[in-house]
Amino acid sequence: MNALRRRFQPEQIRELVLIALIFGIILFFGTQIENYFSPRTFTRISTSVAVVAIVAVGQTLVILTRNIDLSVGSIVGFTAYVVGTILSRNNDIPPVMVVLLAVAMGAAMGALNGLLVAYGRVPAIIVTLGTLALYRTILVEISGANSVLTNELPRWLVNLPPVNVFHLGDLDIRLLFFIALVVVVLFQFIASYAAWGRRLYAIGSNPDAARVAGFPAQRIVFTAFILSGALAGLAGFVFLARFGNITVVAGQGVELQSVAAAVVGGVNINGGLGSPFGAFLGAILIDVIDNSLIRWLAISEFWRDALLGLLILLAVATDTVIMNRLRKAWSRHELQISGSETSAEKGGAHHAA
Amino acid sequence: MRKTNIVILSMLLIFSMLLAACAPAVAPAPAAPAADATEPAATEPAAAEATGEGVPMVLMPKFLGILVFDQAYQGALEAHKELGNPAELQFLGPTPENSVAGQIEILTNATTQGVKAIMISNNAGDQIAPAAKAAREAGMTVVTWDSPIPSAEGEQVFVAQVDFNETGKVMADMARNILGEDGGKFAVLSASPDAANQNAWIAALQETLKDPAYANLELLDIVYGNDQSEDSYNQALALVDKYPDMELIMAPTTVGIAAAAKAMQDEGLCDQVKVSGLGLPAEMVEFTLNGCAPQFALWSFVDLGYLSYYVAYKLATGELQGVEGETFEAGRMGTYTIEKDPTRDAGLRVLMGPFTVYDASNVEAASK
Amino acid sequence: MPPRWSFLRRWEGLLLILLIVIVAYNALNTPGYLTVNNWVNLFQLSIEKIIVALIMTFIIINAEIDLSVASVMGLSACLTGFLYAGGAPMAGALAAGLLAGIIAGLFNSFWISAVGLPSLVVTLSGLIMYRGLAYVLLEDRSIGNFPAWFNQLGQQPLLGPFPLAMLIFFVLLLFAIIILHYSGFGRYIYVIGNSKDVARYAGVRVQRTKMLLFVASSTIAALAGLLYAARLGAVRGDMATGFELDIITMVLLGGVSIFGGSGSLWGVLLSVLIILNLRNGMGLANLSGHVQTGVIGVLLILSVLAPNLFASFRASWSRRRARSQESNNA
Repeated sequence: MNALRRRFQPEQIRELVLIALIFGIILFFGTQIENYFSPRTFTRISTSVAVVAIVAVGQTLVILTRNIDLSVGSIVGFTAYVVGTILSRNNDIPPVMVVLLAVAMGAAMGALNGLLVAYGRVPAIIVTLGTLALYRTILVEISGANSVLTNELPRWLVNLPPVNVFHLGDLDIRLLFFIALVVVVLFQFIASYAAWGRRLYAIGSNPDAARVAGFPAQRIVFTAFILSGALAGLAGFVFLARFGNITVVAGQGVELQSVAAAVVGGVNINGGLGSPFGAFLGAILIDVIDNSLIRWLAISEFWRDALLGLLILLAVATDTVIMNRLRKAWSRHELQISGSETSAEKGGAHHAA
Repeated sequence: MRKTNIVILSMLLIFSMLLAACAPAVAPAPAAPAADATEPAATEPAAAEATGEGVPMVLMPKFLGILVFDQAYQGALEAHKELGNPAELQFLGPTPENSVAGQIEILTNATTQGVKAIMISNNAGDQIAPAAKAAREAGMTVVTWDSPIPSAEGEQVFVAQVDFNETGKVMADMARNILGEDGGKFAVLSASPDAANQNAWIAALQETLKDPAYANLELLDIVYGNDQSEDSYNQALALVDKYPDMELIMAPTTVGIAAAAKAMQDEGLCDQVKVSGLGLPAEMVEFTLNGCAPQFALWSFVDLGYLSYYVAYKLATGELQGVEGETFEAGRMGTYTIEKDPTRDAGLRVLMGPFTVYDASNVEAASK
Repeated sequence: MPPRWSFLRRWEGLLLILLIVIVAYNALNTPGYLTVNNWVNLFQLSIEKIIVALIMTFIIINAEIDLSVASVMGLSACLTGFLYAGGAPMAGALAAGLLAGIIAGLFNSFWISAVGLPSLVVTLSGLIMYRGLAYVLLEDRSIGNFPAWFNQLGQQPLLGPFPLAMLIFFVLLLFAIIILHYSGFGRYIYVIGNSKDVARYAGVRVQRTKMLLFVASSTIAALAGLLYAARLGAVRGDMATGFELDIITMVLLGGVSIFGGSGSLWGVLLSVLIILNLRNGMGLANLSGHVQTGVIGVLLILSVLAPNLFASFRASWSRRRARSQESNNA
């Protein structure tokens, strides 16, 4: 136990607790649903979680700075629709350009959010509640009620969902899920090790101290919103590839799903605590529950949401109770260590004098 | 602090008193003649004045941003020009996430504005009835199309795209065509549990299946995709996993059928599980040609909008009284009769019909 | 500026000017706007939301959030419909609907106060769960044919031109203003919203206050759900879906800080009047639902952005003036 304590911080244990919870839920449903332990289940969940997972990573970056981005649902829908429309008219745009276009479009919308929050000093919830409505309004107005149609899209895009990147034993790692994985790993790395990432935490846990310490807080918040928008744009591309037919209601509700994934994944809504990997686990936890409930013959279609809400609540409660226990254990331990360290320092000081 | 609050309060008070003082003076102003609900309900609304200043009309879809509703507007516009109505035809709809409250709001505002006739594709079930009744009392013509008011309260006539009982038969027939003579198991992927017309069609389907002729078709389950691509796509795959011997997904909703077909195509399941239901040719052409959705049905929304306009206009001008047995001409579409709606306990309908069943032979031409 | 007009520099002053502009514009340009009927309609069409907005103001000032209100509205209405269709007397069914609200509130506050989970997580789960329970009860059914007195209460004027729901709103508004702005309990809510720790050291019972607020929130939401059922005359599973964001928008436009501790019911009242009049005016001008939401979204942003920009321009202007004075002196 002591070795474990020295090795890990409570926040890293939190992710282990989440993984254990996910496995517990999977084990339970394995006893309930026929043929549950199969590669198929993995494919179903991994492909359905991709959109929300990508958005949740961006959401996490923003929440870490003690802000929130509620406009992501509209950004996902906007990019999916507009990129789809452009592609329908010109099938020859190279794939890389298409992805870049989606990301750039999302980043531009995120930049407007960031500008208003960081430099206009308008609270993030007000800005993004406003742009949630605004981006959707613009989309509906420019669409003229036309839909993006599958048969007008280039073949490579329509056939993207079943494409495999590699196999992991029996498990297929699909390209769309792989994109989400890359995003998670990349941003987990940035948040943990890059200076910019560490500053996100500093700003979120104590904005005043961060300002005193001379961090360019405005610029960092601005960038976080751009990245959140860019990732929502990328998710919009994944959305387009997955569903083909896109109407103007696309992506509705993703904002609440991404916030739910982040907070279930241990990202503190008051900033400064949590990680992109945690949010990814949160998204998986919710998706596993959801996708298992719709396959569970024992419950009727109408019980699904009632149970989903309850299970999310219980998962978060379990996680919180375990974490509180652990944190207490740690702080007792640290008290002992720091106690001995201080006395050692005193001794050293004395010696130097 | 306190003082400023009192200042605000008193300003508000003065303000509301001003309003109260203005109100009676403005109410009878000629700008909003039909707005005053205290006027006794006109039994023959506006028959005389309609010739002079036209009949302001509103076409209201379930919500905005859906192709089929815009097609209906095109049809209504065509009739609007044909009949030479000098007043305006407005196409007003709520946002999808606020559909019920939004439809009621638009209907109430139309009453205030003195609109003479409204055509509603009802998404609010019986919840819109009180607002519709208030509109009727204010002398407005209320016609529903695409989806009626189930209790028929506040509605004069429902313009039915097809016979709702026939919808059940058409779906059962398509299922039999796709599954072959020896039949098989299938499931229904609907929109939301609140969609009254979807529910009526599913009930009709279940009724049809009781007929011995369809004895070898078995309905396994009814699930809901809430007319969202993500939900419908996931639900379709869940059905495949839940029922390994299922051979067909029947989706009586344009969003659901396209999402289910895409899901089967993506997972390479088109050989085992087919998709059918009600869909738009333009959205389905790919899946019909590659065999994922060999057969589906729909009606013309352009014609539906056109016919609805004729019915509403003739009711508003007094040319039709809205009673059972009346016959009328609807421009290029020919002669129709107002009849009792056999699919509801109460209410009148004008039946348009028929279905067009699409398959590989005609879907490409229709998708253009 | 003479001190008498200083309130114009506050948020409420800004909102008041905005309201006057909107009302004046509507009155001059929109036929049918200045009628008693339209004014009653304009309140009636959103009355349930603005009733819930009152208690949401308390919750947000207390630095919490309740996302489950719209689902509680749906649940209480559906439970009432379910029991009535099952043969229960209407009064009993209504009481059960209200009780469902109280229980939902107790459930929420158990997880928030006793277990210590963030209210965002608890009420987000509640948003999914209570809506789910509404569907468990009614499945794909719609229940109508309520007793005539019930429909009448929701649809006909009760006193003068005012229907019951509007009278309830006025009474609740009065109570809310007295409690929040003129009572010790109201001060506690601000103190807790500013800092939980300070409140605890000052001897405020933080957990009990929170518990009370969340129970009140769900109970009032349940009441609003029943009023909504009476107004529409029928209930089904999707009732009031998505209302929570509209309600929160009303409170935030009223100048209540999402971080708690500041804002007033006066501001929320003005913001409610602005949103209702703006929507009504745009509706009568035949603007689509999307444009209406978009305009309110932009207004929400501008209402905070404009004073901020004004303040920073003034700051930089006075800095420049100070600098030029300095150089003159030199």
